[in-house]
Amino acid sequence: MQQRVKEVMGASVALDCDAELMLRVKDGDGASFGLLLGKYRASVNHFLYRMVQDQAISEELAQEVFLRVYRSRETYEPTAKFTTWLYRIATHLALNWLRDQKNERSQQRLDETSDDAPAREVADRSPSVEQRLLHQVNVKEVRQAVAALPDKQRAAVLMHKYDEMEYSQIAKVLSCSESAVKSLLFRAYETLRVRLAHMA
Amino acid sequence: MDCPIKTQENTDWLLDYAAGRLRGERAAQFARHVETCGDCAGFVKAQSVVWNALDQWEPEAVSMDFDRRLYRSIEEARPSSGFPGILSRLFHPLQPLWRPVVPLAAACLLIVAGIMLHAPQAVISPADAAGRVEKIEPEQVERTLDDMQMLRELAVTPEPGENPSKSM
Repeated sequence: MQQRVKEVMGASVALDCDAELMLRVKDGDGASFGLLLGKYRASVNHFLYRMVQDQAISEELAQEVFLRVYRSRETYEPTAKFTTWLYRIATHLALNWLRDQKNERSQQRLDETSDDAPAREVADRSPSVEQRLLHQVNVKEVRQAVAALPDKQRAAVLMHKYDEMEYSQIAKVLSCSESAVKSLLFRAYETLRVRLAHMA
Repeated sequence: MDCPIKTQENTDWLLDYAAGRLRGERAAQFARHVETCGDCAGFVKAQSVVWNALDQWEPEAVSMDFDRRLYRSIEEARPSSGFPGILSRLFHPLQPLWRPVVPLAAACLLIVAGIMLHAPQAVISPADAAGRVEKIEPEQVERTLDDMQMLRELAVTPEPGENPSKSM
């Protein structure tokens, strides 16, 4: 199987063990799919949560991501890193969802969920609660600042910041050039620097 | 080194330096530049604020039943198990071969059905059948009667020199 991966990816590309696992899934090994799920369950869920900012929806989208991975096993070819392929599916689903949900109702729901958590904490007056309240206010501001970014900028920032992806990999996920990714990120962080400057 | 802000080149170095991802000689070179460049120092400071703010945003834990729901969806998407499932697995490698045959076979069936419907049929009506029976029956009766008469005549007429009682 390693030979097969090398043939497809070429000698210059390092052997991606996730791609190897995926080739095993292709050959009918369900346990390898379980390993991939265990390895990327959290990161895919967190990426989608930060993209759509709704826990239930992000989990539904994550389910769809892994379902698509499983369904595509027979046609899978390791032409790129497994994570690039995985995040391309996740980003595609998230961007589609965001495109479909750009209406007043989704914004209202976001505001409601954001306001819920601090309201529940008001009864308790201990100092730690104040700290938690402050933290929640900060998180709310961060969420709103990230949510205000254009969808592609948001995806690029999340992959760069939380998944520590290289510019080249983000470019492959977003199907654009590396210089375009650098430009996206520079503009996105510029917006965030202005919006979050008071948190210094 | 040239200032990335002034030249608008290698601006990714600024982001990487603020994130602590710039390594080796490049990181040392950039650190020396930041000490002397107010613009870059200001940029790095502001970017660090963003970085720390983003760090505060922890996502919620994934549901405990995430895997169970996923495997259920996978099971539901699978073709049904049992005999049809086994058949489909057995013939799965042949699917690309027999798939084009199905529409061809359907077309052939339609053509054959069309020919059968429009071809002249040898239909025998009840009246014709009765006429044929009527035509056959008297001939048979007549022939039978002739045969019986011939036998009777043979039995009645004795051979010369033979005892007639023997022949009966």
